[in-house]
Amino acid sequence: MSLLEVKNLSIGYPGKDQNKIIQSDVSVYLESGQIVSLMGQNGVGKTTFIKTISGLLNPIKGEILFDGRPLEQLSAADMSKKLSVVLTEKPYAQNLSVLELITIGRHPYSSWMGMLSAHDKEVIDWAITETHINYLANKKLFELSDGQLQKVMIAKALAQETNIILLDEPAAHLDLYNKIEVMMLLRQIAQSGKAILISTHDMQVSTQLSDRLWLFNFNEAVKQGTPEDLIMDGTLEKTLYLNGYGYDMVHGTVDMIKSGRTVSINGSGDRLFWTQQALRRNGYTVQEKSEVAVIISDSAWEVNVGEQTFHVESIENLLLKLNNILSS
Amino acid sequence: MINQYLEASKSKWVKVLIGLGVGLILCLLINLSFGSVSIELSKVFAFFIGGTTENDSWDLILRNFRLPKALTAVLVGSALSVSGLQMQTLFRNPLAGPYVLGISSGAGLGVAIAIFLGFYVGGFLELSGIGRSWLLVAAAGVGSLSVLLVISLAASRIKDSVTLLIIGLMFGAASGAFVSILQFFSQAENIQAYVIWSFGSLGSLSWTELSVFIPIITLGLIFSILLSKPLNTLLLGENYAVSLGLNMKKTRLLIIINTAVLAGTVTAFCGPIAFFGIALPHLTRMLFNTSNHLFLTPLVILFGGTLMLLFDFIAQLPGIETTLPINAVTALFGAPFVIYLLLRKRNLYYSY
Repeated sequence: MSLLEVKNLSIGYPGKDQNKIIQSDVSVYLESGQIVSLMGQNGVGKTTFIKTISGLLNPIKGEILFDGRPLEQLSAADMSKKLSVVLTEKPYAQNLSVLELITIGRHPYSSWMGMLSAHDKEVIDWAITETHINYLANKKLFELSDGQLQKVMIAKALAQETNIILLDEPAAHLDLYNKIEVMMLLRQIAQSGKAILISTHDMQVSTQLSDRLWLFNFNEAVKQGTPEDLIMDGTLEKTLYLNGYGYDMVHGTVDMIKSGRTVSINGSGDRLFWTQQALRRNGYTVQEKSEVAVIISDSAWEVNVGEQTFHVESIENLLLKLNNILSS
Repeated sequence: MINQYLEASKSKWVKVLIGLGVGLILCLLINLSFGSVSIELSKVFAFFIGGTTENDSWDLILRNFRLPKALTAVLVGSALSVSGLQMQTLFRNPLAGPYVLGISSGAGLGVAIAIFLGFYVGGFLELSGIGRSWLLVAAAGVGSLSVLLVISLAASRIKDSVTLLIIGLMFGAASGAFVSILQFFSQAENIQAYVIWSFGSLGSLSWTELSVFIPIITLGLIFSILLSKPLNTLLLGENYAVSLGLNMKKTRLLIIINTAVLAGTVTAFCGPIAFFGIALPHLTRMLFNTSNHLFLTPLVILFGGTLMLLFDFIAQLPGIETTLPINAVTALFGAPFVIYLLLRKRNLYYSY
C-alpha cells in the first residue's frame, strides 16, 4: 500500500462566492524509498499542494489517504507522526540553538514538559549525525548560512521520525555544491525507506536524483512518470517552459544570438568543453567543417585559416585572434 | 554527544535558576527591611523564623504592611512578565504585552463605570475602606473578564493570530473612548479617584484580598510553566507548530485565557501597571540569551518578581514618607536599561 495516496484532489483557496481552484483532479501516490520531485512554474500550486497534503490548508475536494486512512480522520498529533515538512519559511525565533530546534522536532513524542527520554535523545543524535551537522549543534540559528539552515531543518524533520517528508524548495537559495549535498542527503534518507516529496525549479539536479516527477501545469492535468521518459518525449520542456527563449532547459545551457561566424573544433575533454562554451557565448556556430579550424592540444590552441597558422595560449587570446581574423 | 550538550545546558540553567531564586529572596528581605522605618535584617530574619521581632510596632508593620506589599510585588512582577512573554511569542510581535488584547482597557472601563456612575447611583462615595476596594476589584474583574470572553470567542473562530491582536487593539481604543466620555461628564474628585487607580499600586492589598490574589496568580504561574512546551513549538511559526502536532486553536485559547487571568487579576487588584510586561521578557531574553521557553518561563517568573521588588524598593524611597506611583518608577528606571541593552545588542530579533 502507498504511504500517501491522493485521489481527485482539488486545491486552492476558499472564496466568498466561489472557491479559487489552482489545481484540480490531482491523483498521485507516494511510495516508500522514493524521491518524487514536484515541478512546475511559479504560481502553479506547488506550495499549496504541499500545505494541503500536510494538513495546513483544507482541500477543496477529493481525498488524501495516509496508509489508507483519510486525512480528516487524523488529528494534528496523528499527522505529526506520519508526515514532516520543511517549508520555505524560516523559523521565527533566530536565537534558538540548532540542538534546541531539533529537540522541538521531537514535540510529538516528548513528555508534556518537553522532557526527553533516552530514545528521544538517540533519535536526535541520529538525525544530527545523518545530516552531518554535529559541528553546528551549539550554534544559534542566526549564525547559520542558508545551506546549513536547510540541513538543520531536514534534521528536524528526521527527528520527527515520519515515513513521509515533504520539502518545499529545499534547494532554493543554495549554491550548486550545497544543492547537490542536500539532494544526496535526501537520496540517502529515501534509501532508508522513507518517501520524500520535494517541490523544485531545479531541473538538472532533481531529474538526476528523483525517482519520479509530478509536473503541474496551468489548466492541465498533472503529468507523472520517470524523469528520463518525461524528458525524452518532451513533456518536461513543454510543461515547464514556454518555447522561444533560446534556453536548453533540460541541459541547462543557453543559446546566444548567432553572429553567423562558423568555426570547426578539434580536441577532447575539458578543454574542448570550455572552448565550445566560450565560442558559443561569443556567437560562433561550431560546425564540422569550416574555413576557420581550431585545434586544441594539451598546452595551446592552434588556429588554421587557409594557409596561415596561429598559436595562442589562452581562450581569451583565442577569442581575440578569431575576432581579428574574421573581421578583417 | 547530545547527552553531554543537554546535561551541560541543563546544569547551567539549574544553577542560573537557583541563583535567581536566591536573588529573589535577598531582594525580598531588603524590601522588607527598608521603608519609612528601617528594620534591621536580623530582625526580619527573626520575624520569619520566630514569628516576632520582639517589637510590637515592627511586627505590625511587617505583618500588615510590608509583607503583603512585598508578596504583591513579587506576584505582580512574575504575572505581568510571564503574560507579556506569552503574548510576544503567540503573536510573534516584540511590542506585544499582557495588555495587548485589551485586558487593561476592559478593566479600566469597568472601574470607570463603577467610579463615575457609582456617583450618580449615590452608593459609591458612601462606601469606604474595604467595601470600596472590593467594588473596584469586582468592577475591574468584570471588565477584563468580558474582554477575555469576547477575545476567546473570536480566537475560536479566527485562524490568524494577528487578526486577534488587532481586535484587541480596537477594544482598547473603544474602551478608552468610553472612559473619556465618562470622564468628560464627571466631577473632579471622581476623575482624581480614577487617575489614582490608573497609576497602579502595590500597597493597597490587605490579607483578605491577598487570600484571593495569591491562589489565582500562583495557579496561573504554574499553568504558564505547563504551557512552555507548546510555546516552544510556536517559535518556529504557526505552520511548523501545526505540522509538529500542535492543536493551534486549543493552544491559542489556553494561552489567551492564562494571560488574561494573570493580567486581569493583577489589574483588578493593583491597577494597570504598564511597561513592565512588555519590557521584562526582552530584558530576560537579552540578559540570559535564550529563547527556549522551558528555561525562559521560570527565568521570567523569577526575574520579574525580583525586579518588581527592586522597583518597589525604589518607589518607597527609603527614609521618606511618601511612595511614588509604581507605574512611573517601572518605566522611568526600566526604559533606559532596555534602550541600553538594545543598543548593545543591535538587533532585537536576534534575541528571540
